[in-house]
Amino acid sequence: MIDMNPSTNSKAPAELGQSFGKTSGSKFDRKARLRWSNQLFRMICIGSALFVCLVLLCILVLMLRTGVLTFSNVSLTEFFFSTNWDPENEHYGALTFILGTLALTSLTMLISIPISVIIAVFLAEMTPKWLRNLLRPVLDLLVGIPSVVYGFLGLTLLIPWLRNLSGHDLADGLLAASIVLTIMVLPTISRISDDAISAVPNKYRDAAYALGANRFQTVFRVVLPAARSGIMYAVILGMARAIGETMAVVMVIGNTAQLPNSLFTPTAVLTSNIVMQISSVEFDSTWNYGLYMMGFILLAISLLMIVAVRILQKKGGRYS
Amino acid sequence: MSVKKPAHPTLAYSFGKRRGASVLLDRLFTGLVWGTGIIVILFIVGLLFLLLEKGLPQLSWNFLYGLPSEIEEGGGIGPALFNSFYVLIISLIVSIPIGIAAGIYLAEFAPNNKLIEVVRICVEGLSSVPSIIFGLFGIALFVEFFEIGLTILGAAISLAFLNLPVLTRVTEESIRAVPVELRNASFALGSTHLQTIRRVLLPVAMNGIMTGICLTAGRAFGESAVIILTAGVSTSGEMWDFNLLSPGGTLAVHLWYVQSEAIVPDAQEIAQKTTAVLIIVALLINIVFRVPLWLNERKNKA
Amino acid sequence: MKKWMKSLTAVMVAVSLIGGASSAVEAKSNLKGNIVINGSSALLPFTLQAASEFKKENPKVKISASAAGSITGPQSVRKGIADIGAVDWDASKNVPGFNKFDGLVANPVAVTVFTAVANPNVGVNSLTTKQLQDIFSGKVTNWKEVGGSDAKIVVVNRKFGSGTRVNFQQKALDGKEFMNKGDNYKEVGSSGDMKTTIETTPNAIGYIDLPYVTSKMKALSINGVAPTEKNVLNGSYKVWGIGYYMTKGQPTGATKAFIEYIQSSKFQNGSLKKLKFIPLSAVK
Repeated sequence: MIDMNPSTNSKAPAELGQSFGKTSGSKFDRKARLRWSNQLFRMICIGSALFVCLVLLCILVLMLRTGVLTFSNVSLTEFFFSTNWDPENEHYGALTFILGTLALTSLTMLISIPISVIIAVFLAEMTPKWLRNLLRPVLDLLVGIPSVVYGFLGLTLLIPWLRNLSGHDLADGLLAASIVLTIMVLPTISRISDDAISAVPNKYRDAAYALGANRFQTVFRVVLPAARSGIMYAVILGMARAIGETMAVVMVIGNTAQLPNSLFTPTAVLTSNIVMQISSVEFDSTWNYGLYMMGFILLAISLLMIVAVRILQKKGGRYS
Repeated sequence: MSVKKPAHPTLAYSFGKRRGASVLLDRLFTGLVWGTGIIVILFIVGLLFLLLEKGLPQLSWNFLYGLPSEIEEGGGIGPALFNSFYVLIISLIVSIPIGIAAGIYLAEFAPNNKLIEVVRICVEGLSSVPSIIFGLFGIALFVEFFEIGLTILGAAISLAFLNLPVLTRVTEESIRAVPVELRNASFALGSTHLQTIRRVLLPVAMNGIMTGICLTAGRAFGESAVIILTAGVSTSGEMWDFNLLSPGGTLAVHLWYVQSEAIVPDAQEIAQKTTAVLIIVALLINIVFRVPLWLNERKNKA
Repeated sequence: MKKWMKSLTAVMVAVSLIGGASSAVEAKSNLKGNIVINGSSALLPFTLQAASEFKKENPKVKISASAAGSITGPQSVRKGIADIGAVDWDASKNVPGFNKFDGLVANPVAVTVFTAVANPNVGVNSLTTKQLQDIFSGKVTNWKEVGGSDAKIVVVNRKFGSGTRVNFQQKALDGKEFMNKGDNYKEVGSSGDMKTTIETTPNAIGYIDLPYVTSKMKALSINGVAPTEKNVLNGSYKVWGIGYYMTKGQPTGATKAFIEYIQSSKFQNGSLKKLKFIPLSAVK
């Protein structure tokens, strides 16, 4: 982070100084003031960015510092490749939770991305203005509903319904959790995609229509590719929230450390296991260290998924 | 923006091809979008109705303003409601300037190298950290390191940390989405970088940034895990307690408590009413943040 | 946009001021009259009630209560970040799953009664200790094996570390271990989740603190004895425990006064009883 300061400092004054030196030669103090405020503003921005990085670093250190202590008592292979999580009897295999998180996130994204993008297109391209102005705040509103409310609805309405549908005695599991998560991330993905689509300049659309394209072609060949960066960011943000969501998931996933044999079998994911157990184990125990390690793994998984989405986007970018 | 060429030469050709099929596709697509849109609208309306139906008709001033009660029916949510706003405002005061400034840095000042790319991915990754870990971080920082106990201040700043990554990235994306022509025009008129950012980039990107603020404000308002750990479940038990070091149980925490542990006989009713209040307040927050946007739009039109 | 910049600077100043204020206060945070309580969520209702009553009499005492989980109580006290750690068992002694905390003093504050509960559709009204052990360890999986109709048993357990779980295991199951896997097994995080799950899941069995039992679930008798206050007082129902406030050494100052207030007969026979806990004096 530090090595970039000189480069920005040296580049910008040149660019700014020239443009100003010529227009207002006599008013030196104005020029100095502008330069000073430019510098100050840049420093504030750099400082803020550094601060965000610092917070990130602190969190990483907090988790990793405690997390690595796990491996003084547990072997790496057991932690990552065993599905037996039974800390009361000294078994610390976290594979179930890692797989669970991957499966839950993929399932949620599979359901929510198509719906969200369609909603975004609907909002940005098709609805009349009054409906759009009504719907946008309502979608934002859904983000503000506490996750316990979603969890409670899942527990009292969704699960009994799934139970009747599937014939299982207990319908807690991946499907229930991913439906609840879909409802939770849908507003995030669709609203940010909606903004990205709205930000595509109208002239692109006009050009497409002028070339004889119909709406489907305009949206799919011109608007969506142009808004790709924003939509990708929306997906990443939604995915990040799906990976990290706890309070609602914990109420519908069943919290049982076992590999599920169906979508309706109680299981557990990294977050649900962390939130259920972290406040009920002793501070200086391998169990607690293991939970911190799982927090770190969670972060690693989300970073991997983000990188994967970015690579996909770059590949897709070649032919637009 | 990544796409500068609106349409590839070959695309122009493909528009004309297979007219019948593409008309059909267009119809299908329009139908699908409208269908999904209507289903989702119905779903949201149903959801809101479900959440508001029982709580809304019973709301009263006494409930909004009253002190909570553990034994008798008729307890209110006054201090929790107040704390919700207080924590939200403090956390926004901390997170908005830092988040937006960091976003501006990433979009405008940062060199385009691998390091910044890594920082960007990390910031995105940070937004997936479960809130409970921010809570633990808050405990480590405020309760153990600064030794100020369970406080509103600690909760507000932990919440701000939770929201920083989202705000940073949303700001960056919105600024990047501003067409290059506008930026160039501004530079061509002789404005400095700061003037360009202030007068051109931020106003144009304001729509997106406001979405980001609404989303983070909503999330901060509905967050419970962080607050339970850093500010406690209790309130100071009186209204208008502006002390930053008071315990800061918010409305979402109160809802969690009422749903999970409270013994008071009308717990379910309180939960329903609290949910209704939460939804109405979230709606108000959205409207309040949108007013400057609407004004801006009107001004630009005139 | 000028205004925006101005407000930005104002905000920055405000932030730095707040930062300064917090560092000024941190020096005197060990003020007398500031009580931090953490720990068991099952004891939270009467802790909050007592706190609000106590504050009326002592307006200068500040009490903040949180409930991150039973074991958090004594741990926070040992670490020095809480004055009182509420816990559902005597944490100065060993219990299954948890070692004792040396140097902490257990102050008894209330009696809680635990009961096995089932969904109303279950035809069974009473179970023996052996049957409970078999059900919760996963040996018996069908209600007809314990005298009910032919339906799979859905076992709902509290998470590890729950005070209710520790007490139920010790007193209703005689220390026998719980199952931890199965298609019809789930764990929940709080009494409220347990209540909701039992109410909405047919053939479910679980356990809960007596005050949470509602008309939409069935409290099961154990060995033929119904879980009522009367049976606890006459000694026939054994599944109850004492809730404790753990303190570092003997309590002093405001903490001592608060604990004494909770132990006073005024609170014990007044608010505590209204919250359906049983006064300490009644069971000794």
